[in-house]
Amino acid sequence: MHTPSGNSHQGTVPSTPQEVVRHGLERMTSAGPLFRGTVIVLGALFALGIVGFIIRASQGFDDRLPWGYYAAVFGYFLTTAQSAPMVAIALRAVKAGWRRPVARVAEMWTVVGVLNLLWFLPIMALVPTIEGRRSLWVTRPIGAPHAWDLLVVLFLAVCGLGLLYTSALPDLAAVREKGSGFRQRFARTLSSFWRGTRLQWNVLYGGIALLGTFYAMLLVFGHALLSTDVAMSMVPGWKDAIFPAFHALSGLQSAVAVVIVTLFVLRTWGGYKEQIHVDQFWGLSKLLLAFSLLWFYFWFSGFITFWYGRAPTEQVLLRYLYFESYRLPFLMAFFLNFVAPIFLVLLWNPFRKSILGPTLAAAFILVGTLFDRIRIYVAAFSAGDPFADALEHVPAAHLPGVPDILIVVGGLAGAVLMYMLAVRLIPVMAWWELKEGLLLRRVRPFLRRHMTVVAKPD
Amino acid sequence: MQERVELSHRQINQELLAANLKGPRWWWLLVPALVLVVMGAASAAGYMYNRGLGVTGLNRPIFWGIFIVNFVFWIGISHAGVMLSAILRLSHAEWRRPATRAAELLTVFSLMTAAMFPGIIHPGRPWRIYWTFPFDFSRGIWPDVRSALIWDPSAIFTYLTGSTLFVIIALIPDMAVLRDRTTGVKHVIYRFLSLGWRGTPRQWKLQIVAGILLSALLLPVFVSVHSIVSWDFGMAVSVEGWHATIFAPYFVIGAVLSGVAAVVTMMALMRWAFHWEHYIRPEHFDALGRLLIAIALGWFFFFSLEFMFGLYSLEGPEVSLRQMQMFQMPWGALFITFITTAFFIPITLWQFKRVRRNILLMFLISILVNIGMWLERFLIVVPGLMRKQPLTFVWGGYTPSPVEITLVVASFIFVALMVLLFAKVFPLIPLFDIKEGQVLKDEVQVGRVRVPAVMREE
Repeated sequence: MHTPSGNSHQGTVPSTPQEVVRHGLERMTSAGPLFRGTVIVLGALFALGIVGFIIRASQGFDDRLPWGYYAAVFGYFLTTAQSAPMVAIALRAVKAGWRRPVARVAEMWTVVGVLNLLWFLPIMALVPTIEGRRSLWVTRPIGAPHAWDLLVVLFLAVCGLGLLYTSALPDLAAVREKGSGFRQRFARTLSSFWRGTRLQWNVLYGGIALLGTFYAMLLVFGHALLSTDVAMSMVPGWKDAIFPAFHALSGLQSAVAVVIVTLFVLRTWGGYKEQIHVDQFWGLSKLLLAFSLLWFYFWFSGFITFWYGRAPTEQVLLRYLYFESYRLPFLMAFFLNFVAPIFLVLLWNPFRKSILGPTLAAAFILVGTLFDRIRIYVAAFSAGDPFADALEHVPAAHLPGVPDILIVVGGLAGAVLMYMLAVRLIPVMAWWELKEGLLLRRVRPFLRRHMTVVAKPD
Repeated sequence: MQERVELSHRQINQELLAANLKGPRWWWLLVPALVLVVMGAASAAGYMYNRGLGVTGLNRPIFWGIFIVNFVFWIGISHAGVMLSAILRLSHAEWRRPATRAAELLTVFSLMTAAMFPGIIHPGRPWRIYWTFPFDFSRGIWPDVRSALIWDPSAIFTYLTGSTLFVIIALIPDMAVLRDRTTGVKHVIYRFLSLGWRGTPRQWKLQIVAGILLSALLLPVFVSVHSIVSWDFGMAVSVEGWHATIFAPYFVIGAVLSGVAAVVTMMALMRWAFHWEHYIRPEHFDALGRLLIAIALGWFFFFSLEFMFGLYSLEGPEVSLRQMQMFQMPWGALFITFITTAFFIPITLWQFKRVRRNILLMFLISILVNIGMWLERFLIVVPGLMRKQPLTFVWGGYTPSPVEITLVVASFIFVALMVLLFAKVFPLIPLFDIKEGQVLKDEVQVGRVRVPAVMREE
């Protein structure tokens, strides 16, 4: 519905609460040939990825060099899918009205946390012990770094699922009441106790806030810890305090990007045109612009300190990570994470306030981040002896073989497949938030035009 | 904004312009007292110019003492303006309205104060400061134009110019209100300052566009200022603890923390001094408190990384420096004071809504934060220089002299004096912003409750 003034925000949801649920259930249950075809292709690619993993595993875990691309996919999942719920958490925290169709889309990516937990297990065998080399574990706790890293990945996956479950509870109850078949049985199992009492709602709001806060802190901590243990500490002489923060920031940038692309897909092919409007893309594009600028700032802060310092150890690192061995992935990442999204798209108001513009920028970023994780993790796994004090010479780049390509493509396909399957079980729109939004918004005449009025209950 | 009081435009004009048109009695007592203190400090500076820097506690190898600490501190406070005014303006945060001008003023006056320290106080012979400027034709020397020390003044003066413009643009409509309510010389001055403002739709549009443009343009300048200040330290490889890639964002977020805390201090004082209970309400402190929680957590993340990566290197001198900072007196006591006042006490207390809404407590906590943040800069600058090993043959301690302490204390008085002088001539709360907030407020009936609402700004 477009208002007389041209404001289109009211068009973001169907007009009654009943319609919200009816439309949502309809979208959950209807699977067209496009959906089925995509699932089959993704399933096949994922199976090929497993083949690639088996080939790699058959060569053993003694030499970590061939596992660089495998580790890069782990870093990529952490940076994209597992970071995506931050969009929901942050927008809920600031009570952004336009978040309502976005929140669940973002949270749903936590299902990939389970895949990443499994993905991490072989990496534990590849990361060396901390004795005799630089590490964050100064006090040398028992099991460091392996057990503690695993705990972080485990908690992240569990906490993410907990957040998704908590926020989906009222909608699962709606599926329990209005749905049918296996979905109804699934929803009944998970939401049998939900009656929507005042106490239950209060607990739900508190739970979402608490789990969101915990997830946000755990995610940032996880980025810092895992990027240091699995990447930086494996490169002799690489002491870069901003790197963990850069890794986390890159996660926030990619989180917004992955949500934008998902929204675009859901809107274009998923039947959610009525719910997902330009408002959501516009709001997210501002965040994407900010994070892309920060991406450059964090990268530059680290780079200029090394470059200007002229310390020999750091000069070798610059040549290894930026100028020689991994120049191509670095240039691709720099172009796709910073130059292209900002200067080709996000800087221009008409592009930013559109559906296609932010999607294009987000797609650039997702590809750029993959290159960047390859640059970081493959470089870490191919840097040689992690117990050395510094890099004596610039190691050669490690190029991908067929198993590596299968692992990367299969891994990405597996993540998307998990998301698509989850969407069939859990509503991808937060119905209760959409209904809440209907209650809190009005269009009122103001002078000679109409304005959206948003109620702020607290 | 739940606690907004219904105010007529006439009442807003009367209450907010009272300080300009009549002026409280205490102003005439306080301002001369502050002028006397500042003049006393100027005398101390004169004594230092006459006797040389020997009257300070500076000595080999500590040539940067509390003058530089204070410079960094005031640069930090200046980050309040853009953080609150520009970012909240761009994000349409409704609670920004009474806080923006206070924040912008803090920016301008603290930048002026900061610039005095490296410009005319710390050099000891300010008339020779031009030797650092990068032009040489008559002198035959070339200062290093790539040096952060050269870029500092460029960034600071760009920021000062932009921030001053920001204040002026926002002042124009209020100048017109004052113009229409004064006579004689005052009227002539306000007429000149209001630049022919008539409040036509075109003028409003231009004023809003200029405000938004300046907000967006100032953001990168704001980040660059403290980044460059941090690189004064970060580029120095020879000083333990300084050559860290994280310094730029760590300094920036520390600056934002101290700057926003300073805005809380200033808003509490404004409320008490001018009886602006209708405008500066507990809900504003609540919102600022929540913002401060996020900023403080972000700051602590960067602090932890900076500290941990000092230990990560496993290099003897770096580890010894951290040991000295934490366990050796008086540094250990200062460290504990710093971390408890800047983070642990505030973050614990801000968790409670009752504390965030208690203006006296928020005022006291904001002062604690800035005590901590001042000490943080002290602990970065001085201990590092004390242990500057590779390029020095003398180790020494540092105790600030009475001259230094006088000048540092007077800098706080100077900023207070400037704000009071401004308050006599210009309104400290933007009238037009408050009136706009009144116009845009509304209510929405949800069930049996009327919920406060706001028209969505486009």
